[in-house]
Amino acid sequence: MATATYPPPPPFYRLYKDYLEDPKSAPEPPPPIEGTYVCFGGTYTTSDVLPSLEEQGVRQLYPKGANVDFKKELRSLNGELQLHILELADILIERPSQYARRVEEISTVFKNLHHLLNSLRPHQARATLIHILELQIERRKQAVEDIKRRREEARSLLNESLATLDGQ
Amino acid sequence: MDIISQLQEQVNLIAHLAFNTIGTLQRDAPPNRLSPNYPEPPPHPTEDGSNFSEQPKLMSAGLVKAAKQFDALVAALPISEGGEEAQIKRIAELQAENDVIGQELQKQLEAAEKELNQVQDLFKRASDNCLNMKKPE
Repeated sequence: MATATYPPPPPFYRLYKDYLEDPKSAPEPPPPIEGTYVCFGGTYTTSDVLPSLEEQGVRQLYPKGANVDFKKELRSLNGELQLHILELADILIERPSQYARRVEEISTVFKNLHHLLNSLRPHQARATLIHILELQIERRKQAVEDIKRRREEARSLLNESLATLDGQ
Repeated sequence: MDIISQLQEQVNLIAHLAFNTIGTLQRDAPPNRLSPNYPEPPPHPTEDGSNFSEQPKLMSAGLVKAAKQFDALVAALPISEGGEEAQIKRIAELQAENDVIGQELQKQLEAAEKELNQVQDLFKRASDNCLNMKKPE
């Protein structure tokens, strides 16, 4: 049985032979990749943006625009979902062979729901950042107060000890 | 778990309940009467009976409960109506304030370190003098 050996490791280690004596004789690490890259035969991209629904070939049921009212749209999508489930149950009673369209509509509603929830994530990230910054400002103010207080205490202690020494 | 993940879990739960409901009813429903000429088809003895007529009610109650819970979670979403620009503006303000406070903290820290060094130096000199003034036994 023929066994394939693994490919040898890349020969770059020879370039670092004199690294201990002269760190500059070896090449710098490669810069970070920008744009798209190929890894194990698949293309990947460095910008992680949520693909819009049209790119995935799904009909978008909520209005497009800059600021979507998330709560209202989520609630209306929930209502539509319940309606579609009821329609599916009805059509299974009356014309059972036409279930496919209803099922497809239900899956479109689900995809819209998930897409809306995913597009809430950047908002959540910014809100977390705001919260962290506020906490940090609070901590720094506290630290400034602490340092001021300690300096005052130390100064008063020194004055007191000076007075005690002078009184001797 | 944060609220968006809870909402996502709830959506998946509703999907789960929906296909369980439809699938169970479709699988277990007793056969329907096709025409008045033929007699009523015999009921299937094992699965039906008292269990089956309650199943639609129970399952649909579960589905509606999950949908109501989803609505409650949506109502609990802490979204401020400002949108992206307001958040970015707030982040910039907070960063500026953070920088100011950071510089003040740095100043206080440097002054406190300087005083600490001074006190340590004086203490060293005082203790040296104290030791040197001791008469050798």
